Amino acid sequence: MQQRVSILDGNTFLVCDSSGDVEPSFDFPTGMFSFDTRFLSTWLLTLDGERLHALSVDDAHSYQTRFFLVPGEPTHYLDAKVSIIRSRSIGGVFTEELSVLNHSGREARFQLRLEMGSDFADLFEIKHQRPKKGRTSAEAGENKLRLTYRREAFHREALIVSSTDAHVDERGMTWSITVEPHSGWSTCVTVTPIIHGARGEDVRAITALGAARGPAVIRDEQEALVGRAPQLGCDCEPLAGAYRQSLHDLAALRYESITLGVRLLAAGLPWFMTLFGRDSMLTSLQVLPFLPELVPPTILMLAGLQGYRLDDFRDEEPGKILHELRYGETAGFEEQPHSPYYGAADSTPLFVILLDEYERWTGDATLVKQLETPVRAALHWIDTYGDLLGTGYVWYRSRNPETGLENQCWKDSWDAISYADGRLPGFPRATCEIQGYAYDAKRRGARMARLFWNDPEYADRLEREAKALKERFNRDFWIPEKNHYALALDPDGRHVDSLTSNIGHLLWSGIVDEPRAAMVAEHLLGPRLFSGWGVRTLATDEGRYNPIGYHVGTVWPFDNAFIAWGLSRYGFREEAGRICEAMINASRYFDGRLPEAFAGFDRTLTDYPVQYPTACSPQAWSAGTPLLLLRVILGLEPQGEHLIIDPLVPEGMGRVELLDIPGRWGRVDALGRSRTPHDHDHRD
Amino acid sequence: MSQATEEFFASLPARAPTILRAPVTGTLQIDLTTDNRTDHWLVRLSPGRAVVDRARGPADAVWSSSADLFERLATGTAQSISAVLRNESTFSGNVMLFLVFRQFFPTPPGVRDPRETAREQTGRA
Repeated sequence: MQQRVSILDGNTFLVCDSSGDVEPSFDFPTGMFSFDTRFLSTWLLTLDGERLHALSVDDAHSYQTRFFLVPGEPTHYLDAKVSIIRSRSIGGVFTEELSVLNHSGREARFQLRLEMGSDFADLFEIKHQRPKKGRTSAEAGENKLRLTYRREAFHREALIVSSTDAHVDERGMTWSITVEPHSGWSTCVTVTPIIHGARGEDVRAITALGAARGPAVIRDEQEALVGRAPQLGCDCEPLAGAYRQSLHDLAALRYESITLGVRLLAAGLPWFMTLFGRDSMLTSLQVLPFLPELVPPTILMLAGLQGYRLDDFRDEEPGKILHELRYGETAGFEEQPHSPYYGAADSTPLFVILLDEYERWTGDATLVKQLETPVRAALHWIDTYGDLLGTGYVWYRSRNPETGLENQCWKDSWDAISYADGRLPGFPRATCEIQGYAYDAKRRGARMARLFWNDPEYADRLEREAKALKERFNRDFWIPEKNHYALALDPDGRHVDSLTSNIGHLLWSGIVDEPRAAMVAEHLLGPRLFSGWGVRTLATDEGRYNPIGYHVGTVWPFDNAFIAWGLSRYGFREEAGRICEAMINASRYFDGRLPEAFAGFDRTLTDYPVQYPTACSPQAWSAGTPLLLLRVILGLEPQGEHLIIDPLVPEGMGRVELLDIPGRWGRVDALGRSRTPHDHDHRD
Repeated sequence: MSQATEEFFASLPARAPTILRAPVTGTLQIDLTTDNRTDHWLVRLSPGRAVVDRARGPADAVWSSSADLFERLATGTAQSISAVLRNESTFSGNVMLFLVFRQFFPTPPGVRDPRETAREQTGRA
């Protein structure tokens, strides 16, 4: 696999090879994408017919890359007489400056050629290849090339313009240039992706979305956002690096919603550059102590798109919070259900949890009052459509067998939910962590009803229901002979008995009976689940365990962050610290950028965390992970108008100092220091 | 203008108290086109209340569609957001008004309560 280089600004992004080229690809999303459509599938630079190779690549910024290139193969370019600098940025439009440098003492002539093309593939057509149903055309003009796709009224266009004279044909542009000795020549090529909406205008012009921004504006925006986050001072360089990287990645993953004109967080490059209910809410929970301003747009958007009717194709029900919203052709023509798709059983309780947690930190009572109706509808969903079998649990079963999701929990691949012997249960399924979220949602709903909606009766009812759910859950999900909670119940109410990381989320929700918490903690940190780099999704001795299986053996950083939070909640601070330490150390091997997932191999076997082959990076909830770990390490917890700070810094980490933590208290500082004999080693 | 569309607009004031629960206020203009003729509807939305006129603006948002597509929306056989994504209908202005208004479009005909189906299949009906 060739090394890939990506730049992104929100959900406009470009993935290319190490020379900056893009060649048609049918299995991986290379090229330039915006709002789920590929606008460039060919972007290939040659000099006098020769391909170019990179001497170096400067990709320090998410929105900008610079390639230093020479013609020819790596074996004979050492005395190159010419080099090319390809300097590009992305921010609504894609801009590439091409500079040709003549290093010889004589005037030189060159033919510089850029092959251009677009298949206008929808992201889902790359996952599941299909012939296009519409018509693609190319129109060469004066220094510009217009690539167009039309299917009925669906109309996308890539407008490519050169700043200097070029010979333009339907497959690209050629510049015939003469360069003085020891001198250079350059041109600037811009690619504008156009999404036609009302009256044929670009939708971004008519829905108050921001116009294209240059790299300077993007840099200022990102730096302003990072500047508003608390400052971290610490002895532990990997932690400092991961924190810095996370803030920049979160800034880069913000995109402007085509339907609401607000900044939302895309879930992950390259497959998930759109709004996911679960990902955006779990990321919001992670970033809340640091950048609370990122949260309200997500909550408002999810409330605005809350399900209101029954729709089998979209797995929609009244009160349900969406799973995934897409903007492309397959969503529009209903070949995929993402308009939006509601196939998630956890997003609805998470919505209630997030709003309550947001208020606890910020004191923003206005938002809680404003959203009373959608929150009540979400709580109502838990007891009605969520409880498919009428047994007092939240179940899922897709009504869209062709394009719906079988598993509607965070482990949503087809084989993620299995019995210990590897068999797959029937549907509907009720996974354990969703019951934990439902319990937490009821308790938090009660708090909001009592404090903000002036409805103490409803609050009492929710609390009674939560208590009953906890009792029921501890009776029905606990496997006495294994001393852990079942992963799920099958349609007959029997245990799906695998040992999984899901039990860690139960601690976070508070649904675990106190006497059992120690057993749960022991499993999480035990050799079957804990790899040394983190908690595996599935224990090593289960039937479907695979250290490089997406949800059946890999380690997911976000999962670990919530597990650490859960352990900490039940007082297992040292155990939580072990997970924090493992994650922060793992981040060193990814230059501070934790990927979506890495392999579940034992730490003693590999010495470093092995990246999962097609993991998305950057990924929002992985970027949020170091932030939540910091919250756990420093023991940050809002209580009334104050922030409780109760640090327990893992051994060897030294000083951890977080300044200007925003919240209803204004801004406060938190300081922690590990207290062990090994700490003096750290600064060596 | 089809009978289904006429009936749909006529039903809005009575349905508003249960459907318009969000604190959103504004005027939505709906332009429905048949061949070369366009009918205009103006719906003033506020919590619990919808006032309908056969008129055009001023409006905070404009939703345009063929009369045929709108009839399918009004009878639950088409879905509003996918129609915008494929540009079969278009929208400009305050998007919240559209998100609120779409809740008047009914459930597709013939859809069963998923609980009934699930309970039947597991023998719990």
